[in-house]
Amino acid sequence: MRYELLYEISKPVIAAAGVENVLRAIVESTAKGTGAKGCSLLTYDPVTKKLEHRVTYGLSRKFINKGDVLAESIEKEVLSGKVVVVQNASKDKRIQYPEETAAEGIVSILSLPMRSKKKIKGMLRLYFAEPRKFIKEEIEFLDSIAELSGIVLEKAEQHDRAAKDADLAMKEVVKLSKERENFIRFLSMVAHDLKAPLAAVESYLKVMLRGATGELTEKQQQWINRSIQRIDGMLELISDLLDISRLETGQIQTELQTVSWSKVLENSIDIAKGLAGPKGIEVVADIQEPLPDIFASEIRLGQLINNLVSNSCRFTPQGGHIYIKAKVEGDNVVVSVEDEGTGIKPEIMPHIFEDFFKGDKDAPESTGLGLSICKRIVEFHNGKIWAESPVPETGKGARFTFSIPLGATCNLPQFDLPKEGEMK
Amino acid sequence: MAVKILVIDDDPDIIDVLSVLLEGEGFEVVTARDGAEGLEKIKLENPDLIILDLLMPHVDGFAVCNMLKDPRWARWSDIPILVLTSVREEASRRRYELETGMRMDVDDYVEKPIDPDVILERIKKILARKEKI
Repeated sequence: MRYELLYEISKPVIAAAGVENVLRAIVESTAKGTGAKGCSLLTYDPVTKKLEHRVTYGLSRKFINKGDVLAESIEKEVLSGKVVVVQNASKDKRIQYPEETAAEGIVSILSLPMRSKKKIKGMLRLYFAEPRKFIKEEIEFLDSIAELSGIVLEKAEQHDRAAKDADLAMKEVVKLSKERENFIRFLSMVAHDLKAPLAAVESYLKVMLRGATGELTEKQQQWINRSIQRIDGMLELISDLLDISRLETGQIQTELQTVSWSKVLENSIDIAKGLAGPKGIEVVADIQEPLPDIFASEIRLGQLINNLVSNSCRFTPQGGHIYIKAKVEGDNVVVSVEDEGTGIKPEIMPHIFEDFFKGDKDAPESTGLGLSICKRIVEFHNGKIWAESPVPETGKGARFTFSIPLGATCNLPQFDLPKEGEMK
Repeated sequence: MAVKILVIDDDPDIIDVLSVLLEGEGFEVVTARDGAEGLEKIKLENPDLIILDLLMPHVDGFAVCNMLKDPRWARWSDIPILVLTSVREEASRRRYELETGMRMDVDDYVEKPIDPDVILERIKKILARKEKI
């Protein structure tokens, strides 16, 4: 009951005045109220087994700094929960610093345990300049004051702990984002450094293939062609990695400008026809004008649609169709790419947007990053992307749909990276 | 007289492969390993065309482009430039724009690796355009 009451009283007081001010007020008013020369709250450190003056009133600096107060005799008793009265300090053998105590003009000392719940956190000490007797009621009242001090101190410690935890958590977050930033920087650098030698090797091969260094046998031509294809695959992987690092770090924000959806789609459909035509696949466009302008990266929106189209091309048989549709729906522009291909197996459906996921393990030309890049591009523009297979209306193939809000919002990460080409 | 092409690239293999390709087509080829040497060679050799890499140590291709816009380089500012780099075109142009506040005004842009047919066709186009003027 006493604890609860003291706790309830302490809460608004601490909130209003702050822990340090409350502790200071306690020692000062207790000293004044009891006619003591001085008062101190000593906190106990169970590790060093020492007591330390936390807040004092009426005591000289010299007395406070006289030396370590050890948990011996009197102090030990107080810490075990007893109230100890020293009537005459000059005659009491239990006093740790008799000379300093005399020099300070202290005659009587009252020591009370400072409790918080069941734990004893230290002691409240009152120092008197004359011999002093204490009646039971007085001691009981001062015991409450000591307990109140304990509760306030406990609060202070909680606050310190919380501040420390918050500080640690913040440091951890900073460290993690720094590590991620460094990793992406590293990735970007590796990608650049891999690209240069591959480009040199492929350049040699292509010039050789042209006969610039002499006639080639049919087998040599075949193998050089194959080598070029393999290098192209690697270059594509590297450029996908670079794209991901750009998207992850927001480097593409420099590409943002007002873009016409109609123009983006028109260009993408041209490129789609170029991809699909040679494979005997027909591209059918259904663009419901008018479409608005958007503050976006034109390159990335184009890349997004072309990635989807090139996937569709890969799985659609000769004579099939790819449908590209776009329209405004509510507050979004919704674009879909639909094919008549082999479709997506239900068991892989949940994974298709993951990094390095390859639906078709036998497709060496796939980097497994195409759709994950698509997802990043859509999310960068605050949109959503999803897939359906088979297409509900036709019962075959697959349909990828993305919706991007009208207007001008983009997700920009917070840190800066070197611009393209500063890696070298 | 043979058409003279200056190749500025820090990758010795790219210089090698371009020299073989271009000399095989009857061009005269001079080379430089970075932008500073490139600018020297421009003064010294007065080439008909510059093939320029963008990412190079010290003075890079962006700086060369920028320098040629300076009035002191007016004598050479009309030499056509074909950028040959592993950096994607849009990214390069954007960076140049951001750094100089100007459009990167080059005559053509080709990405590495070198495709002989593509690069020869672009060179011929640029030279034909220059002829007309």
